[in-house]
Amino acid sequence: MRIKVEKEKCSGCHLCEMVCSLFHLGVLNIEKSAIRIERDDLDSSLNTPVVCRQCKKMKCLSKEEVDEAAETKMFIWNESRVKACPFKALSLFEGRAYHCDLCGGDPQCTKVCTPGAIFVVSR
Amino acid sequence: MVLNRKIAYIDLSEESVRVEDIPAELRRKFLGGRGLNMYLLSEHYARQLDPFSPENPLIFGAGFLSGTFGFGSRLNITSKSPESGHLGDTNMGGEFAAELVKAGFSHLFITGKSEKPVYLSIKNGALEIRSALHLKSVDTIETQKTIRSELGDGKVQVACIGLAGENLVRFSAVRTGMKNTAGRTGMGAVMGSKGLKAVAVRGTMDITVPEPERYLAYYHKTLKQLMETKWAQALGKHGTPLLFHLCNTMGFLSVRNNQATTVGERGSALEPEALERYSTGMLSCFACPVHCRQRYAITEGKYKGTRGEGPEYGSIGSLGPKLGSIDPEDIIFACELANYYGLDTMSMGSYIAWAMELYQRGIIGVELTDLSLEWGNGAAIIELIHLIAQRKGFGHVLAEGRGANKVFGEGSLDYLLEIKNFPIEMTDERLPKSFALGMATASRGACHMRSRASIDVLGLPEHVLENVYGGPVSNQFTSYAGKGRMVWWHEVMNAVCDSLGFCRFLSVFSSPRALGYEQFSEFIALATGLSITPEELKTVGERVCSLERSMLAKDGISRRDDTLPRRYFEEPVPDGPSKGQIIVREEFARMLDEYYRLHGWDKNGIPNPATLERLGISS
Repeated sequence: MRIKVEKEKCSGCHLCEMVCSLFHLGVLNIEKSAIRIERDDLDSSLNTPVVCRQCKKMKCLSKEEVDEAAETKMFIWNESRVKACPFKALSLFEGRAYHCDLCGGDPQCTKVCTPGAIFVVSR
Repeated sequence: MVLNRKIAYIDLSEESVRVEDIPAELRRKFLGGRGLNMYLLSEHYARQLDPFSPENPLIFGAGFLSGTFGFGSRLNITSKSPESGHLGDTNMGGEFAAELVKAGFSHLFITGKSEKPVYLSIKNGALEIRSALHLKSVDTIETQKTIRSELGDGKVQVACIGLAGENLVRFSAVRTGMKNTAGRTGMGAVMGSKGLKAVAVRGTMDITVPEPERYLAYYHKTLKQLMETKWAQALGKHGTPLLFHLCNTMGFLSVRNNQATTVGERGSALEPEALERYSTGMLSCFACPVHCRQRYAITEGKYKGTRGEGPEYGSIGSLGPKLGSIDPEDIIFACELANYYGLDTMSMGSYIAWAMELYQRGIIGVELTDLSLEWGNGAAIIELIHLIAQRKGFGHVLAEGRGANKVFGEGSLDYLLEIKNFPIEMTDERLPKSFALGMATASRGACHMRSRASIDVLGLPEHVLENVYGGPVSNQFTSYAGKGRMVWWHEVMNAVCDSLGFCRFLSVFSSPRALGYEQFSEFIALATGLSITPEELKTVGERVCSLERSMLAKDGISRRDDTLPRRYFEEPVPDGPSKGQIIVREEFARMLDEYYRLHGWDKNGIPNPATLERLGISS
């Protein structure tokens, strides 16, 4: 399972980021979200949701000796992995990386995306 | 927790800042946003208060629930208006309100005057006054970009004025983002008078909530309820231009300064389908699931390369048919220019329409205007917008708003359609009687956003209406029966929405199945832990309305001011689907009586002492 993005549909509402931090941390803070919307709000107004692609071959962990299956279930990751991700998909805030753990199998963000810019696909 | 968000008192003369908690009792009574702004303004409001004086407070207020789940994250800016001379208040969407809350504040109370231009920079509880000398005369987009750049953070949200506000154009707006505008009542000019170019905010603080799991579950549930309404679906697809279609085909559009009320089939040029070719997608305000804002680009022709957001129906009407224009590209470009300079599209449209009718009638001529103000002259309209912002030539005259009558001469005000010294907007209210009453009674002068019951034109079964309004209301929009109740009900509801930071488009505005007090109450409990019943919330709305009315009473405003332009009473609509419609004075008076009675105001429109006591407002 992974979250697929169709960026041209993104309205930039931030609801995905809000539910992510609320579900995992019990607070509203869009900085502490594994999905983030990159915005160009004073120019083209384009929004781009960025989230972990759940790569089969996890380059983000390639330099570490860790249990990949266990790591994919973790929400807060080590900062050092941010640079290791070739897609720059990990969010970074105050020294912590935020990784999409798919909410344990029931992603919350896709449920609040009314334009359908993010949705769950099997692979 | 949003309950611990602070208020900052900023004195620009003294360059001092004082930060205080907001007492819980005030939150219960006024929530935040417009409600709390009104409480703060009421402490200083006086007839002799000069809107351009340093003493006039400029108040920014994020809605109580802005930054959290709910429906919208809006902000009100409130002050005494330099445009009307009465109550000034304006509301905007976008990201600014949420950012302010994330930065630890919900209200800013700004007084004084800086000798040199400054801007406020707020970040996570800290506040700094910075020089804006280098931003003098800079447009609203470039101002935002420059501030972001010098603060080194692309996520800073900036609310700013453009050249119009600096030049004290009486209908100047405050702008944030590509399009979000706190447009009405000249709050941009108040900012300009204080030497305040911008307010920049950046916040990354947690907003804690008492029961995260229940909160999330409830949000999912209400989101489903909202998005299942046809209204939300249509709005998310077409944006507000769908309302343009409604008022043009039914005949309540302002055309050539309300000399007509429809442009007939020619109006299709401005309907959503026609505007689709410019659209490049839909956008949302912070935390709004409906995404009603168009993003557009003009890719060919004389305006090639113009891009932005909108246009909204209010601006389309005000800078289009109201001025005799139906050219979509002229209108889009005029809107963009208004945004660039920081001007209110609605008031500006009304003042230009006024000048055009005076020109049509030969009351003013080209020797004064130096422009051919023929209806629909797109080039002249564009040129005039430049001149207004720059206060040059005829633009300098019109920059004074209704004050231009000193130049236009005695009798010219007869052609300015205004209420309480504030011009009417993009519509004509001779057809739907509830709309007419709403305009006549709105606390900031002629305004459709205070109480407009769009639901009225849907012709819903009367038992459905009775269920919503708690009393009999006719389902005929040309009927006066029960419309006093309808307007009272929406005015109270909208005051609550504005105090929470919710968007009225997502409440019972155009759909009886949309969200109301019950959901508002639950959202407050889940976001803050405060228990405020639906009934108590309604009382908050009544309190805000009566407080605003008390301030207006200080200006001497009463029943005789709750009226409509002469044209509405004396000139039947000349043609189109609403041909013959007029407002009958006696029927209008009966609506007004019902409206006053429900508010607990006397026959003259002054709040009764018992009402003020019930609502806890000191007289």
